[in-house]
Amino acid sequence: QGANVAFGASRDSSGPVEVTADNLSVNQSDGTALYTGNVVIGQGDMRLAAPRVLVVFAEDNSKIERLEATGGVTLVSGEDAAEAERADYDIDGGTIDMAGNVLLTQGPSAVTSERMRVDLDAGTAQMSGRVKTILQNGDQ
Amino acid sequence: MARSSGTYSRVIAWLKILLPLIALGLLSTVFLLSTEIDPGADLPFSNAEMADRASSQQVTAPYFSGATSSGALLTITAESARPDPEEAGRAFASSVIARMKMKDESQIMLNAHSATFSDLDDTAILSGEVLIESSTGYVMTTQELSASLSRIEAESAGPVEATGPAGTLNAGRMRIETIENGEDVRLLFTDGVKLVYDPQN
Repeated sequence: QGANVAFGASRDSSGPVEVTADNLSVNQSDGTALYTGNVVIGQGDMRLAAPRVLVVFAEDNSKIERLEATGGVTLVSGEDAAEAERADYDIDGGTIDMAGNVLLTQGPSAVTSERMRVDLDAGTAQMSGRVKTILQNGDQ
Repeated sequence: MARSSGTYSRVIAWLKILLPLIALGLLSTVFLLSTEIDPGADLPFSNAEMADRASSQQVTAPYFSGATSSGALLTITAESARPDPEEAGRAFASSVIARMKMKDESQIMLNAHSATFSDLDDTAILSGEVLIESSTGYVMTTQELSASLSRIEAESAGPVEATGPAGTLNAGRMRIETIENGEDVRLLFTDGVKLVYDPQN
């Protein structure tokens, strides 16, 4: 069963994408690019942090199709935050697919699931796969 | 008809002497009176430059090429080059173009104002606006780059700006190196990389 939650503010995701990392290695024969070492991908108020991000180019090698972040990913957008093992950021589509024990924290409540798809433009997230919600009641 | 007192044969006899003399005269004008042509006058070398070239042993448009053990070809051309008078095995070159051609047809081209070649540790230090273009579409500029002459390996001395398919980026340092399997070559941007990718263009 899936759960729809609001995630971050909705806004246009066609702005420039900024990436900072320790290293970027570009393979000369096939042109694949790999960021390693506390990589932070930023776009608008969205920050995606991961130790390792692979850049996957479109067929004609002129545009970036998606960024594959692996090795433990944290995603922050507005005041919402989510963690997972890996995340695929589709820049043109403005969506982030997170997979591998996803943990979403929104204020006091926390939701865990197998997978989560975040739509940055609409500011929503669709969680699926054994979704569990932990509601903090009271004021601890 | 009696012969008319042999005037005809006398005239012929005189002509046999006069005509060769006239021929000789004409021939001599070709050499004696010809304009003074000094072949050495219009050569582009001035004496001062001749002395300088002799002392500095300057070579114009040198061409150096070599192959690395992994089969990549390295060719270096320059506008001019001259050996270092103080230290043997070192040479300076100006406006240098180096081209590394890998076995899989991918290429890296280096372009610099000046370069110092040293055979001892077999490296070339390119300096002054070094431009690096890779066939993967990355164009990089840096101030100084040291490149090995026998292997595909180079390292920038300082920060690098680059534009390419992944976007425009600047990094603390850049290395061109052969990956462990000895086949693939990679561009490694290190010491902090900051990149901006604009999905629009």
